[in-house]
Amino acid sequence: MTWLKLVEGYMPMQMITELAICILVFSIINYSLKRAGMGLPKFWAGIFVWCFVNLFYLKYRIYPPIPFSVRAIYGTVAACGIFMWVSGSQQEWEEFKRPIINVLDAKTGLTKFVRTALLILLPIGLWGFAYNSFLPSFDEPIELRTVHPAPPATTKVHGKTYVLQTAANPFRINPEGKYDQAYSNAHIVSQDMGRLMKDVKNPEDNPWDPNAKGYIKHVREGGEIFFQNCHFCHGDNLNGRGLWAFAFNPIPANFTDAGTIAQLQETFVFWRVAKGGIGLPGEGFPWASVMPPWEQHLTVDEIWKVIMFEYWHTGYYPRTWE
Amino acid sequence: MGRLFNQMTRGKKKLFAVSALMVMSGLLLLPIFLSVSAVASGGGAPAGGPPADVVAAQKAGEEGEAEKVEMGRDIYYKTEGPVIGEGAPVTADNETFYPRYNFESRVLLWVANQQHLYYGSFVLAVPIFCMCIEFAGMVSKDKAMAKKYDQLAYDFIKISLTAYSLTAILGGILIFTFLTLYPAFFGYLSSIFRPVMHIYALTFVAESATLYIYYYGWDKMREGVLKWVHLSMSVILNVIGTVLMFLANSWIAFMMSPAGVDEQGRYLGNIWHVIHTALWNPLNVHRILGNMAFGGGVVAAYAAYRFLSSKTDEERAHYDWMGYIAMSLGVAFLIPLPFAGYWLMREVYAYRQQMGITLMGGLLAWLFIIQATMIGILFLTTNYYLWQALGRMTGGERFQKYIKYLVFILVVGLLVFITPHTIVMSPAELKAMGGQQHPVLGNYGVMSAKNGGINAIIMTTILSFIWYQRGNRVPTVSWAKFGNIFMGCFFVIAQLNNVWLACYGYFIPANVRIGLSVPQVAGTLSCLLLMTPLNLAMLKNGRQLGPIRWGQIPPRSQYAIIMLATAFTWMMGLMGYIRSSVRLFWHVNEVMRDNSPWAYTHTIGFAANVISFNVLFFWISIMFVFWLGTLGAKKVPVPSPAGQPVPSPQSATGH
Repeated sequence: MTWLKLVEGYMPMQMITELAICILVFSIINYSLKRAGMGLPKFWAGIFVWCFVNLFYLKYRIYPPIPFSVRAIYGTVAACGIFMWVSGSQQEWEEFKRPIINVLDAKTGLTKFVRTALLILLPIGLWGFAYNSFLPSFDEPIELRTVHPAPPATTKVHGKTYVLQTAANPFRINPEGKYDQAYSNAHIVSQDMGRLMKDVKNPEDNPWDPNAKGYIKHVREGGEIFFQNCHFCHGDNLNGRGLWAFAFNPIPANFTDAGTIAQLQETFVFWRVAKGGIGLPGEGFPWASVMPPWEQHLTVDEIWKVIMFEYWHTGYYPRTWE
Repeated sequence: MGRLFNQMTRGKKKLFAVSALMVMSGLLLLPIFLSVSAVASGGGAPAGGPPADVVAAQKAGEEGEAEKVEMGRDIYYKTEGPVIGEGAPVTADNETFYPRYNFESRVLLWVANQQHLYYGSFVLAVPIFCMCIEFAGMVSKDKAMAKKYDQLAYDFIKISLTAYSLTAILGGILIFTFLTLYPAFFGYLSSIFRPVMHIYALTFVAESATLYIYYYGWDKMREGVLKWVHLSMSVILNVIGTVLMFLANSWIAFMMSPAGVDEQGRYLGNIWHVIHTALWNPLNVHRILGNMAFGGGVVAAYAAYRFLSSKTDEERAHYDWMGYIAMSLGVAFLIPLPFAGYWLMREVYAYRQQMGITLMGGLLAWLFIIQATMIGILFLTTNYYLWQALGRMTGGERFQKYIKYLVFILVVGLLVFITPHTIVMSPAELKAMGGQQHPVLGNYGVMSAKNGGINAIIMTTILSFIWYQRGNRVPTVSWAKFGNIFMGCFFVIAQLNNVWLACYGYFIPANVRIGLSVPQVAGTLSCLLLMTPLNLAMLKNGRQLGPIRWGQIPPRSQYAIIMLATAFTWMMGLMGYIRSSVRLFWHVNEVMRDNSPWAYTHTIGFAANVISFNVLFFWISIMFVFWLGTLGAKKVPVPSPAGQPVPSPQSATGH
C-alpha cells in the first residue's frame, strides 16, 4: 500500500494512530451491528482483529516490509492482547469460547461437519508444517548482527592513543576557539534552511561563505572530505543510499536514521571511521562491513572534520553522558 | 492473694522474656557491630586507626629497620595504599587453574549460583512480608482481620523456613563448586574479602538463630508486649538479612567494577574501598526490590497452587486472599524496580561506557529485548489478574466493559517497548528493508520511545488498580464528581505528557533526552502516589455495593499468578546472566582474566535454555518445599472469610 504515504518524521506515531483508528472503526461498526442484532460473535471478532493487524496491516500497509521476526513478535503480543480482551470478564469469556465448545460438542449438523473437518485437517496441517520445517533451505541464514559493538577503552590512530570516554573533537569549537558542544548544537543545519542553504539567516551558519571561520569552516572542510570519499556509499543525503550502496550486503549506514550516529558518542564514530569494518571487535561478528579503515587514507583532523559534517548535515547531536 | 501472686509471676516472666530477648538480640548483632569497626579500619585493625600493616610499616619506617613499604594506586578511587598480598593470579587453560569434569564448568557454577540466589532471595524477602503483615495484624482494630493477618504471616514464614535450609545447602554446594572448579579465582577473591567472608558467616549464624526464634516463638509470644517483642525480632531478622545480602553483593560488584586494588589486583589495605565499589549501591537497591518482587511472586504462586487444589470454599477463600496480598506486595516492589534498574545502568555507563554499550546496544542487547518482553508479561499479567478480580466484587462489572481500551494501550506500549533495535533478519529481508534500521519501527528501537512505552504500561496498571479499589464501592464524598473529573484529567494529561516527551526526545541531544525520563517517571509516580491516596480518600465511608466474594474468582486468575511468578523467576535468571556475562572474558573486570576454555559469551539460545532449566529446577524444588509445608501440623483454622465483608483493598503496600 505504498500509494498511501507514510509521512516522513511522523511515521511511528502515524502507525499507532492508524491502528487505533482502524480498531475504533471496527468497534463502532460491530457495536452498530450488535444493536441491530447482527453483531460479530466475540470469537470471530477476536480472529478478525488479529488477522487484520498481522496479516494485513503489518504485512501490506507498512513499507518497507517488516522482517518476519518482528512480525512474529507483534503477532504474539497481539494474540495475547486479544486473549486478555476476550477473557477480561467471565461473561465475555463464555461468549468467546461458545463456538469452540459447540464444535467440540457437535450437536448440530454444521458443528459435526466442522469437527470432522478439523479432525482431518489439523493432522494434515501439522504434517505439512513438519514436512516444510525438515525441507532443506537454500536461503542465506538469518543474522543477528551487533550493529554497535562496544568500543575499546582506547584506540590508537596515527600513533596517538585516544581514550574514547574522554576524547573530544578538536574542531567542535566556539568563536573563542574552545570546545563547545552547545555552540555547535545551536549551529547545525535546520530543516527550514533547505538543502541549498538558501535561507541561512545567520552568516555564521553559512558553510558556503568563503570567509567562514571556526566551526562552520571545519564543517565545510568535513563536507569536502565526505563528498570526496564517503558519499559513494553513504549517499549525498547521508541516508546510506550512495551509488555503490546496493552492491554491499548489508548496505552502508544511514546517518539520517535516529538509530545510528544520533545514538553514539562522537569518539565512537571516530573509532569506527578510523578502524573500519576490518577493525570491528569480536563482538561485531560476523563483521559484515566493507568500510575501509580510514586511518590509512585520512589524517586524524580529516576524520574529526568529516564526523562533524555528518552531525551537522543530519541535524543530530553526538551523544554525551553529562 | 493467689491471683496477685500469679499476676506477679506472669509479670516477672514477661520481664524475663523481654530481657532475655534483648540480650540475645544484642549478642546476635555483636558480630555486625564488631565487623563495622573492623570494616572501617580496613579489616582486623582497631577501630579508627590505620590498618595493622600500615601501622607496622610506619613503625618500621620510624625505626629505620624495615624495608620500604611498596605503595600501589587504587584503580577506581585513585588513592595510594600499601600493597598487601599477592596480585591476581595469571591463569592458564590447564587442570591446575581450572580443574574440570567432562562438562562445562561454567554451566555447573551457573546453575549452583542461580539456585542459591533464587532461594536466598526468597528467604530474604519473605521475612520482610511477614514483618509488614504481622504489623498490619497488630494495628488492625478488627479482631477477625488481625487473626487472619497473623495467620497469613505465620503461613509465609512457615514456607520460608524449609527454603532457608535449602538456601544453606545450596550455598554449600556453590562454595564447593567454586573451590573444586575455579580454585585460583576463588582463592584470589577470598584473599581480598577474607574479613568480609568471616563476617558474612557470622551474620548468617545470627540470621539463622533469629529466624528460628522468630518462628518457634510465634505461639509463645502472641499476646501483649511479647507480641511487640516478636515483631521486633522480625525487624532484627530483616536488618541482619539485608546486611547479609549487601556483603554478598560486594563480591559480585567487585567482580564487575573492582576497587581497592591496584592494576595487578593487589589489595591496598582498605577493605571499605573493596566493598564500596562503583556498582555496589545500585546493585543493593536493585536486588532488594527484585527480591521483594520475586518473593511476592513465589508466595502468590504458592497460594494459587493451593487455591487450585482446594476442596472447600473456605480454603479457596483463604488462598485467594493470600494470593492477592502476596501479589500486591510483589507488584508494589515491581513498580519501582525499572527505576532502580535505570539507576544501575546509568552507573554502569558512568563506570565503563563499553560495558554499558555491550549491555544495551551491543552483544547483549537482544537479551534486553527478552527482558523487556518479560517485564511486559509481568505488567500485562498483573492487569489481567486485577480485571479478573473485579469479577468477585459486586459492582466490578461496571469497569469490565472498559477493559478493551486498556488492552489497546497496554499492547501498543508493549509493542513499542519490545521492538528490537537490532532486528533479526535474513540478508534478503535486510536488502528489502534498505538498511539495518526500519524507517518506521526503527524509531521504536531507541530509548526515547521505550521510556514512553513502559511508562504508558505502568500508568495503565495504576489505573487498573484504582478501578480495582473502586470495584465494590462508590465514593459518597461531597466532592466526588470533582474528584472523578480531576483524576480522569490527571491520567489523560500524564499519558499525553508521556507520549509527547517520548516523541520530543527525537529532536534533542541525547544528554538532554536522558533527562526527559525524569518528567516521564514523575508523571507515572504522581499517578501512583497522588491518585491512589486520592482515590482512597474518595472511597472513605463510601457506599458498599456488596462484599468481596473471596474465592469466587475464575481459575484463569490463578494461572495468571503462576505465570507472573514464573516470569519473575525467568527474568531474574536472565538478568543474572546478563549482569555476569557483561564481564566478557574477565573473572574480575580488567584485573583477573578468565583463561578457561569457557571464556566466551554463549549464544542466546543456549543461555535461554540454561535459564529455563534453572527456572524449571527451582519450581520443581520449591514445589517440594510447598509440599513439605502441607505436611506440618495444621494450626487452628481461622473463621472462613468466604462471603464476609472484608475491608476493601487499600494501596498495594497497605496490607
